[in-house]
Formats: sequence, C-alpha cells, structure tokens
Amino acid sequence: MSVGPDEEPLLAVRDLEVVFHTEREEIHAVDGVSFDIHEGETVGLVGESGSGKSVTARSILGLVDSPGSIEGGKVGFRGDDLTDDNWERHRGDIAIVFQDPSNSLNPVYTVGNQIKEALRIHQGLRGNEATDAAVGLLEDVGIPDPRRRVEEYPHQLSGGMQQRAVIAMALACDPDLLVCDEPTTALDVTIQAQILDLLADLQREEDLAILFITHDMGVIEDATDRVNVIYAGEIVERAPTGTLFSEPAHPYTEALLRSIPGRTNAAERLPTIEGEVPTPTGRAEDCRFAPRCPYAFAECHEMPPEHVDVGAERSAACLLHEDGSEEAAERTVFDGSEAVSGGDSA
Amino acid sequence: MARAHETTSGTLLPTNSPAAVWAAIGAVLFAAQGGAFFGFVVGVLGDLLTVTPLPGAAFVTAVEAAVEQIPTLLSRDVIPNDGYWNGSRWVGTFLGLPPGLAWGIRAALVYLYAFVFAGWVILGYRLYRREYRTADWTPRDDMVDRFRGHKWGIFGLVVVFMFVVMAVFAPVLGPTTVDENMRNSYSNEITYWDSDAEAVQTTLVGEANLASQSRGDNPERVLPMEYDDFGRFHPFGTLPSGQDLFTFIVSGSRLSLVIGLLSVGLSAGIAASLALVAAYYKGRTDLGLVLASDSVMAMPQLLLLIMLTTVLSGTWLAEIYSGGFVLALIFAGTGWTYMWRSLRGPALQVAERQWIDAAQSFGQRPLTIMRKHMLPYITGYLLIYGSMTLGGAIISIAGLSYLGLGIAPPTPEWGRAINLGQDYVATGSWHISLIPGLLITLVVTGFNALGDGVRDAIDPQSDATTEDGAAGRGGGA
Repeated sequence: MSVGPDEEPLLAVRDLEVVFHTEREEIHAVDGVSFDIHEGETVGLVGESGSGKSVTARSILGLVDSPGSIEGGKVGFRGDDLTDDNWERHRGDIAIVFQDPSNSLNPVYTVGNQIKEALRIHQGLRGNEATDAAVGLLEDVGIPDPRRRVEEYPHQLSGGMQQRAVIAMALACDPDLLVCDEPTTALDVTIQAQILDLLADLQREEDLAILFITHDMGVIEDATDRVNVIYAGEIVERAPTGTLFSEPAHPYTEALLRSIPGRTNAAERLPTIEGEVPTPTGRAEDCRFAPRCPYAFAECHEMPPEHVDVGAERSAACLLHEDGSEEAAERTVFDGSEAVSGGDSA
Repeated sequence: MARAHETTSGTLLPTNSPAAVWAAIGAVLFAAQGGAFFGFVVGVLGDLLTVTPLPGAAFVTAVEAAVEQIPTLLSRDVIPNDGYWNGSRWVGTFLGLPPGLAWGIRAALVYLYAFVFAGWVILGYRLYRREYRTADWTPRDDMVDRFRGHKWGIFGLVVVFMFVVMAVFAPVLGPTTVDENMRNSYSNEITYWDSDAEAVQTTLVGEANLASQSRGDNPERVLPMEYDDFGRFHPFGTLPSGQDLFTFIVSGSRLSLVIGLLSVGLSAGIAASLALVAAYYKGRTDLGLVLASDSVMAMPQLLLLIMLTTVLSGTWLAEIYSGGFVLALIFAGTGWTYMWRSLRGPALQVAERQWIDAAQSFGQRPLTIMRKHMLPYITGYLLIYGSMTLGGAIISIAGLSYLGLGIAPPTPEWGRAINLGQDYVATGSWHISLIPGLLITLVVTGFNALGDGVRDAIDPQSDATTEDGAAGRGGGA
C-alpha cells in the first residue's frame, strides 16, 4: 500500500489557497496546503474545527461556494489541473461522503431514487437496470434486505444505514478517490467502527484511494496510512501514521496526541491546548501556532516556518527542526514546495 | 397493514380493485358535465386566440361551436328558468316551477355536483395513499393532515373552491346569459305576462331591461331575490341599466380568476426561477437580481399601468380579455419582485443543504439540481404567496375597473359593478355596490385564509391545533 514518492500520485494538491471574501475581511481558510494521495492508499487530514479541513475537501471537488474561491495553487488529478476548470471532466472520479448522513440525502426522494440519479449520470443506467444496480450497491455497503430498502425514504433508515446509503451513492459514480469528510462524526462509536470497516473493505475490493478527514486522532490511527496535520489553514506536519503517533515532530501534533484520552497515563486531568485556532485573515507572517505553543521562542513570532524533513517521508513546519540547515529545507518530501509562504498567483 | 382499516370503497364494493371503481365514478362524473369543463377551457383559450393575429382563430371558433354540442347534464336546456306566466301556469320553466325556483335548483345542483367532484378527488387521494403507494408515510402526508385540522384554512379552501366553481360554471349559474341580457339585448326577445293587458306579450330584452332599472328609489328597481315586471328572476337584483347583477358577477368572476391566475402564475414562475438561480449561484448573480428587483419595485405600478394601457390601447394585445391580459402582464412584471424576495430566503436555505453539494459532487446539472433538489422545498412558499397574491390581484383588478382603468366596458367586472352602483349606495338601490363589494372581500379573505392554512400546514413548527389562526397576515395588492 505504501507507494514510493517517485511514482505519479493520483491526487497532487499543491499550494492550495482558498480565500473567503467577507464584507469586513479576507479569510485565508486554506493557505498553501500541499499533499499527495497515491492510488489505493488512505491519507488522513486531521485538525481542529475551523482549521480548514472541510474547505480543503470541498476544493478538491470544486464545491467551494461564493463568497469563497480558490485563488492559487493546483489540484492535480491524474495529470490534469482541476482548478483549470477540469472538474467536469473528472466528475465522478472523485466522490465525497459528508459528515451528516441525514443531511446528505434529500428527504423527499427514496434512497434508490438518489442512487439511481448518480448511476444515470455516470453509468447511463435507467429503469430496471438502474434499480438492480442500486440494489447491488446497497448490498455492497452491507445494507440488509436491499430490495426493500431501495424503495424507502431516508428517514426510514437508521443513521448508520443512511451513511451506508450515502457511501453507496458515492460508489455509484465508480470513483478512484473517495473523500470522506468526517464520515463517522455524527455516528455513535459502534456504528463508527462498522463504517470504518466498510470503508477498509471497499478500499481493498475496489482499490480506492481515500482522503480521510477527521478531528478524531483515534480514527486516524485506525484508518489511515499517512497523515497530514492541518492547523489554521496550513499543514504543519506530514508523516506515516505509525511514526506520527510514536514520535510527533510538531508541537501541535504532540499536543493533539496528549489530549487523546487514555494515551497519557500520568495526569488525572486530560491536558488541553490553551486558546483557539486563530482565523487566518492574511498571509502568515509568523508561526500561527506560536501563541499556543509551549516551545515558542522569539523567532517564532517573526517568520513563518517552512517544511523541513524530519525523517523518512515526513516533514514538519516548525523552527525547532530547522537547525539553520538549507539542505534540510530542500529535502522536504514535496519537491521543495513551501507549505507556508505559498504562491503569489492569487 | 391495509387490511386493518379497509377503505370504505373496498368494503362496500364487490371488487378487489377500488381504483377501477374510483375511475369509473370519475368517468361518470366527467361525462355528466364534460361540456361545461370543455366550454370553460375553450372559452378561456378562445378569448385569448381569437384576437391574436395568428392563424387558427377560425379553428377556435369551430371548436367552440363543437363544444357547445357536447351534451351536458346540468345545462340551461335541461333545467331551464326562462319561462313566462300564461295566466294560469308557468310555461317553459323546469317542471313548470317558478323561474326563481328553477334557477335555484340549477345553481344548487351545480354546486352539489362540484362538491361531489371534490369528494371524488379527495377519495382518490386517500385511496392512493392507503392502497397503492408503496411508502406508508411521506413528509407530505403530515402537511395534508395538518391542513385538515386547520379550520381557517379549510374555510379559505371552501370559499376559493366556490369561487372557482362560479367561474367555471358561469354560463350555467346565471339566470340569464351575458349575450342575451347584455351584449345583444336588442337582438333577443322574451315572452312575458302583461298583467295590464292580461295577455302574453313579447318584447326585446333591451326594452325589458329599460323597464327594470335600479336607479335609487325608483319604483321599477329590482332588489335581490325579486322578480321584475317581465317575470324574470334576479337573485342579486338589477344594475342601473336594468341588467342582471348576478349574471354580471358570475361572468366577471371568470375574468377575475383568469387574470388573477395568469398574473400570479407568471410572477410565481419568474420569482421561483430567479430565486433558485440566485440561491444556487449566490454572489454576484444574487446581488444583480437584488438590484434588478429593487429597481422594478421602485417603479410606480399605477403610473406604469395607466401609461401602458394608453400606449397599448387599440393593439390586439389590449383586446385579449378586454384588456385583462395586459393587466396580468403588468401585474406579473411588477409583482414578481415581492414574491422573489419572499422565496429567496427559503431558496438560500435549501441551497446550503448538503444534498445539493452531494448532487454537485456527482456531477448533476445545475438546472436539474434546482428543479429536483431545491424546487420541492420552495413550492410550499409558492403556494402560500401565490394564494395571497391572487387575492391581491383580484382586489387590484376590481380597484382599477372601479377607477375606469384596465378592463374595458361592457365586459362584466366586479369592480365596475361597484362603480356603477356608487351613486345609489345610500338609496333604495343599495344592493348594486354592496353585493359585489362583499363578494370581493369574501373571496380575498378566502384566498388569504387558504394561504394561511397552507403556511401552517407546511411549517411543522406552527401549531395548527390552536384555533386562533385567523390572526394570520393579510395579503393585499
């Protein structure tokens, strides 16, 4: 499953900039994010609420609505830059599963109707053929008695069933990449585990690549091969899942891991990260985590850190690791692109 | 589950197919009055087509003639009320009854028929819901059930229904016809009992009208539910010209309804499409539409109306529905803005729902998304605002006719009836203004009540069980 970095990635996000223009200010919700996803792997994107996870997911599908717009960077998919208005060309190659399944299904149409809508667009199926295909998809996502369920309305399904139906809808497009935007957050823990299992099975069967977006470190540990940690619109650390959990390189990652219940044994009180995620209203001029960082020193408030290699296939954007070595900066995983300073193409 | 509470038709009738029985009842009902339905449709379309400079006007006339031949159960020929007293009994009326009674029976039967028809439709819906629909519950069921418990809304529905029935069956409901009594009164003769000469005489309708004018306290005036000297029954009395007010009003209801529906339909169409577009694309598109609608709102509607009526007078456009078509276009052109404003909010709300994103993510076309995933959520609001605006449109048409604008005389229009009677309000001919005035108030209240009911039915948060729904908001022009 782990693929060499030299191989052409399925999805290559480079220096993505998404800006929301509100009346009072510009919000750089995604500020120079870069990451890769290779065929068949699961990549995690983890961060707090408001860190820009969902906006990143939506940009990959071209779903950023006004007042937001993609103002820089590239979303490369199979060699095409999607931001160059290529979304329609790759419609269906990338599918998305949203957080709240009850809101992803239109309550006035049957589950089957909505799956058939996607089937009709992407596989040209109609009538009985489409119904059979929809029943097949519901069966694939583990819904019992799919013949009956296909005729039912969303409210007649439980939350877990609904999310399975949403996944079936996504699969109806026959995608290569499945973007899961907090797919288990609205579900209780047992159902959450079932959905994770389902996604893992589907990935094995269909050779899907999955971008898994969540704020739940536990889910990340279970489900992903590699992780990108996002903070205030910037990726602060990227690493294979195992190493990230065993030896986090960025102070933010470290703090996140410390605040998972059960991982730290000493304290009676769970450590938290003081403060809130800042709203990035302009380009970074310092390290955005510095105000909350226990290790922050003077320089952290003066310059934005760049990504530096901190081991095999991993990098962190933190001055602690910079060591003044230019070589280190050049050897960042993502061919020298700088996650923080970003392009000025906007 | 259907077995537990079988439908009445399922238990009463020796068949396993209630739908077939239902369809058969429908066929019988329709056959009885098919002529009236076709007559209404062809009449409305015919008015539209005969004045347009398009080929096919001759065809329409031919169709109109053909439709008149369709046998109709409740027609003037089957239950006639035009007759005369020959000194010992009534001649030519239904079963030899007095004309007023014959007319009453006909009008009552028409309404009875209409309510049976409505019952048939309701029965069909319940049958479908219980026996044929696969889902045993859909969100719409709750709306219907909430509406059923909404007395004020039901009142509105009944009033609106009766008004529509009046429009559809206008030619049958009147004690006489527009053609005979108003348009060509000097080409038609009536036979009557001349009590002075003690003999049956004939005279022209126009002459008879002159002798039954209601002008203040004159002795010939005919008050509601009275006969004139020519044995003609006038349920609402006569106009100052001696014409029959009831015929005038039923015929005017057709015009009010058609113009109202046309203008509301057009503005609802514009408003809904633009609301969907604004909500889907947001940003600049939305801003542009806000500006456009604000500019249209800033135009003085009345001045625009007077100007266009003058500019267009004499063209074929001004002749459709005696100028009503132009009115409808102007109402639609200026009225969509208010409806758009009201629909934009709900549309923006729906556009935020995730299933819109989901549909976009799998590549559904924008138009299909708007139609399939957004429109169903604003149709409720469309119904509410449409119903309330319709009341407003009817008031506006009446108001304009009262002022002498809009509908050209002699086409019957409610507002003009009020205008005609305004000199006699404080006299013995009080009925001329009062009756149409009350009717307009009633109909507009009905449309607003219907809108209130629909709103409460659609909104699950509103508690329809509290009976103070009458405090709802009013419509208005």
